[in-house]
Amino acid sequence: MDLPNAIIHQPVRLKIMAALKPLPQGEPVEFVRLKAIVGATEGNLGAHIATLEDAGYVAVQKDFHANRPRTRVSMTTLGRRAFEDYVADLRSIIGAAGA
Amino acid sequence: MPLTTNEAAQTLRDIARTERRSANAYGYRASSPHLILWGLIWAAGYSLSYARPQWGFVWPVLVSGGSIAGFWIGWRMRPVSKTGFDWRFAATFAAIVLFVIALFAVLPPHTDIQAGAFFPLLISLFYAISGIWMKANRLLALSVAIAALTLFGFFELPAQFELWMAVVGGGGLILGGIWLRSV
Repeated sequence: MDLPNAIIHQPVRLKIMAALKPLPQGEPVEFVRLKAIVGATEGNLGAHIATLEDAGYVAVQKDFHANRPRTRVSMTTLGRRAFEDYVADLRSIIGAAGA
Repeated sequence: MPLTTNEAAQTLRDIARTERRSANAYGYRASSPHLILWGLIWAAGYSLSYARPQWGFVWPVLVSGGSIAGFWIGWRMRPVSKTGFDWRFAATFAAIVLFVIALFAVLPPHTDIQAGAFFPLLISLFYAISGIWMKANRLLALSVAIAALTLFGFFELPAQFELWMAVVGGGGLILGGIWLRSV
């Protein structure tokens, strides 16, 4: 089997998607919290979020909260489906090897 | 180059680890304001029970106010995808209230501090169950801390139990709520 979804199959982007997956549909997470969960630097995280946003897998909302700029990221329906397909591909690799 | 079985398995483990971490952080963030709220209620309720034991209305008033405030917090923090009221919250709350009423009918507490120790232990049980099922170590730590502080106060400081629970129990819940927010 070829590599599963190349956009998701990158360590930082994979962690971003895995961090967003357990949240309720459309629920955003703040950038700083995502940074803590993923364990990436600010610039690195921002670049990978932009890649996922270009693919339509995440949505980025920027606003002001308590007089401070705030960036929040949520998983889109397309992103959720892509991630589920990606996980299914990984499982099929293991399943095919075990069959 | 295609993925090997080991690489696929390792990636799935990484995904599961990150998902659990994110789910725990989300749960901690949702629990935090409730802990702070009930910490304040414990501090006020046990202080008044200690200073004015004849004021029997204190706990019903505080618990009713706290429950309403708790529903309001839950409503404000509801996920963006939830538009309607989830009846399961109200049903869960009703089940707990009915359980406590039934329990006290069968096994009525003989002293005020028995009743005062029962509720923290019940809350500790809920945190233990949540921590076990969510694999959330911070909830487990909170559960152990609440139970240990309550039992210590009950057995070692019965004369000052309410004061102990006001300061250590109430303060502990508030600090616990702040601790959960730090994740």
